[in-house]
Amino acid sequence: MRLFNWFRRRSLERGLDRELQYHFDRRVTDLAATGIPESEARRRAAAELGLVREEVRDVWLTRWLRDFFYDLRFSGRSFLRSPAFTATTLLSLALGIGATTAIYSLVDQVILHALPVHEPERLVLMDWNADDLITGANGTFNLMPYPVCRALQQQTRILDGVFCRAEIQVNLTAAGDPRPVAAEIVSGNYFTVLGVPPALGRVIEPEDDAARGAGPVVVLSHDFWQAQFGGAADIVGSKVLVGSHPMTVIGVAAEGFRGVDVGAVPAFWMPTSMYADANLGADDLINSPTRWLQIIARLRPGVTPAQAQAGLQPWFAAWLQESTLRPGFPALSADRRRDYLASTLAVTSAPQGHSPLRRNLSQPLWLLLAATGVLLGLACLNVAGLFLARGSARGREIGTRLALGASRGRIGRQLLADSLLLAVAGGALGIALAPLAMRALLAFLPQDLAANAIRPSLSLNLLGFALAISLAAGLLSGIAPALQAGRDNIVNSLRERGGTGFGGVRLRKAIVTLQVAFSLILLIGAALFLRTLTGLLAKGPGFGTSGLLSFAIAPTQNGYSRADASRLVRRLDEQVRALPEAGSSGTARFAFLNGGAWSNRVTLQTDRRKVTDGAVNFNAVSPGFFATLGVRILAGRDFNTSDLRPVGEIGPRCAIVNQAFVKRYLADRDPLGIRIARGSLPNVVPDSVIVGVVADMSYRGLRDNSEQVFFPLFEHDDTGATFFIKVRGAPEQAIPSIRRLVRQDDPRLPILWFRTLDDQVNRSLTTERLLAALSGSFGALALLLSLIGLYGVMAFVVTRRTREIGIRLALGATGGSAIRLILCDAVIMIAAGMAIALPCAAALGKVVKSQLFGVAPTDPATVASAALVLAAGTLAAAFIPAWRASRVRATEALRLD
Amino acid sequence: MPSPRFPIPQGTLDMLILQILSLEPAHGYGIAQRLEQISRSVVQVNQGSLYPALHRLQQKGWLRAEWKQSETGREAKFYALTAAGRRQLAIERDSWARLSGAVNLIFEEGGR
Repeated sequence: MRLFNWFRRRSLERGLDRELQYHFDRRVTDLAATGIPESEARRRAAAELGLVREEVRDVWLTRWLRDFFYDLRFSGRSFLRSPAFTATTLLSLALGIGATTAIYSLVDQVILHALPVHEPERLVLMDWNADDLITGANGTFNLMPYPVCRALQQQTRILDGVFCRAEIQVNLTAAGDPRPVAAEIVSGNYFTVLGVPPALGRVIEPEDDAARGAGPVVVLSHDFWQAQFGGAADIVGSKVLVGSHPMTVIGVAAEGFRGVDVGAVPAFWMPTSMYADANLGADDLINSPTRWLQIIARLRPGVTPAQAQAGLQPWFAAWLQESTLRPGFPALSADRRRDYLASTLAVTSAPQGHSPLRRNLSQPLWLLLAATGVLLGLACLNVAGLFLARGSARGREIGTRLALGASRGRIGRQLLADSLLLAVAGGALGIALAPLAMRALLAFLPQDLAANAIRPSLSLNLLGFALAISLAAGLLSGIAPALQAGRDNIVNSLRERGGTGFGGVRLRKAIVTLQVAFSLILLIGAALFLRTLTGLLAKGPGFGTSGLLSFAIAPTQNGYSRADASRLVRRLDEQVRALPEAGSSGTARFAFLNGGAWSNRVTLQTDRRKVTDGAVNFNAVSPGFFATLGVRILAGRDFNTSDLRPVGEIGPRCAIVNQAFVKRYLADRDPLGIRIARGSLPNVVPDSVIVGVVADMSYRGLRDNSEQVFFPLFEHDDTGATFFIKVRGAPEQAIPSIRRLVRQDDPRLPILWFRTLDDQVNRSLTTERLLAALSGSFGALALLLSLIGLYGVMAFVVTRRTREIGIRLALGATGGSAIRLILCDAVIMIAAGMAIALPCAAALGKVVKSQLFGVAPTDPATVASAALVLAAGTLAAAFIPAWRASRVRATEALRLD
Repeated sequence: MPSPRFPIPQGTLDMLILQILSLEPAHGYGIAQRLEQISRSVVQVNQGSLYPALHRLQQKGWLRAEWKQSETGREAKFYALTAAGRRQLAIERDSWARLSGAVNLIFEEGGR
């Protein structure tokens, strides 16, 4: 490699010297021998060798490369001579590159990263877009019935393998106490279709999944094996308890494989044949049309998802037709039956697997990446501005070089070397900063996700990205000054007085205008997200959170029947209420603010039968629940003990609805006494009497203002419960006595979590906080960068116009008019920047709309306040040079020449 | 007065150097002297262009160099052909033969 020659050029030079010296001496001797006088011989020998040295150097390194190295060295030296300039530019670039790299690492890991499996690009996710209420899916998690997976496995013309999987929460007892863990329940061919080998033992195979109960086995994840068993080599063959069911560990999956869902990292895998042991209910999930798992398939090589979808449709239509004939298929109206039969199977490419997390986080992450992109652009503009400023300081140097015969290309290359050197240094610094930024970012993400799925480390891919953006940044910031250098007139630049020279003011003003525009866009974004966060915090969940502690148990995961689970929950409810620490307490079947909900349509019986047009959220709560949370009862009454029936006993049913429900469905009548029921099918009997109306409270999340219906708890169908306790004093102090209570009842039952409601509210706001905090800091950085840019250009303008201002002052102008003169320039730039930014911000508003709450993207007050902050800051930055202009002493200004 | 000499054809210098070195290793000045003998009769070689060519050929791996005592007793940098250089010489000799053969053929046909 010729490049290496650069590094050993000293020894090469020495060798060449000796070699040429030898030649020279011999030549002189030989020439002298022919009778030529020695002085003449020396002259002739030297002339013969001429420019040999230069030419040989060109052989070592090609000429261009050699010159470029000299340029780089020259750049480095001149950077070291102006440390303030160098530090500012490096810091600007490093911040931009570091921030962009950190955000990109999240985008990469959450959104772009393909699963670490064999040919992930051939994986597709199957989804059935039919009316959920006919097919019995809950939610929008691409859930499918197991029989569809079985049937799809016959479609070998199109598919190379089809597996299904579901995420489950179970209590695992390995060594010591049972602990709740996430796991995946998978069909027997899961590992073979994905192409994931075992690290130890074997993986789950089709025989384990052949018949119900066939394979009481688990495969541990590599991470879990390391963390829980210290990577013990004898783990294969040992027994663990899943809930209360003994299972055998048959192997450990390959390192780095963490299931097919980025957001949910399984501790282990078990076959679908064991679904009963995973407490997924008593139904026959293998043969029933219940939608409970996701289906992922591998396409045959060369088949596209669209082709697969088209190819599968005839088979799927037949399958639908056949399914209507099965026993238990609900009676449907002709319309809905038609819709059902017309529903299709959607095949979407899924190299990253299935991830609800991706759906939730992808928009905020793309937004943040775009924001950092803008920030990086701003940093580049700043550096370009600084370069131009330096270019004007170096104008005479460059002019001189041009006059001495340097080509414009040569000067341009010098400037290119400058920016490249800067970019690489800034990039290196940015890469060094990136892991810190990533760690800070992780603090904003949901804890379980941050701990499991995202790593604050640099991958090769990420380094490539950082390098690419550094180079782009370097070129971007170097190109304007380089062009400028090529345009200037030699004579002019030499003639001008020291300190000024080299125009570029117009270019610098354009750059500052753009910076102002970029900053305003970021500031408006920051203000919007801040308003969203404060708005949500101010709104709150609809109840007081202070002093509230909650904890959850899931007894059915430990093998309790639903009836037994209900009895346990009721027992604990009473015992917790009696705790001395508890001011009051209540229990609900489902926790709040974690995104999930139990929902369905509702059938109401007023003067006629009516079905709600949307899904209504349900919960089941104990008497005293509303009082504990401080949710007001607006009409009627709370549940009381007479509403609770002993397990298994049928009696009158009742319900409490919230205000939103009344407003939407019972606006014109007294809600009390009306009968309702869950479900929309014709066979649903509205039998629960509305006994109360409560104020609205959040359920899925703080943004949620949904219609809600509450039923009494303890109707013998509880899987688990979340307890809410109003603690006297600090909420945490009740934890030990609660632990004792639960352990007394069942020492093997784990408590899933303890959380204060304050903490719970905070957790539910992670995305909003992420957006507000990051866009806020980006906005502040952007503002700072453009202030520096504006200040720089105004200071430069003032220096250039010193003479003119001096003359004006000498002719009787006041200091105030000098300030006006200079500020006028700045105001034009600021106004132009804002004029560019506002339409852009309005257009971008449509994109961010879904992330906002309680504020429109074009909210005049927010936009105005952002513009005001920017205007105040930039005017202040421009005022300092303007003020200096007013202090110019006429005599001095005129003497400058 | 020496007879009029051609400037050396482009690219031929490399071939001549390889040819000279195929007989025995030599230092720069030695090669220059050999070239001088050739050039005195036929072609004109600039002494200065020798060294860039030597370094270029060394870079291509066709020559290797070492410091050895020369006939005057002083240390000089001796160049020798590598195996790759020998192959290259064969290739160049071959292509030269074909080229000059072809040119001859054209002239003979034209003369007939």
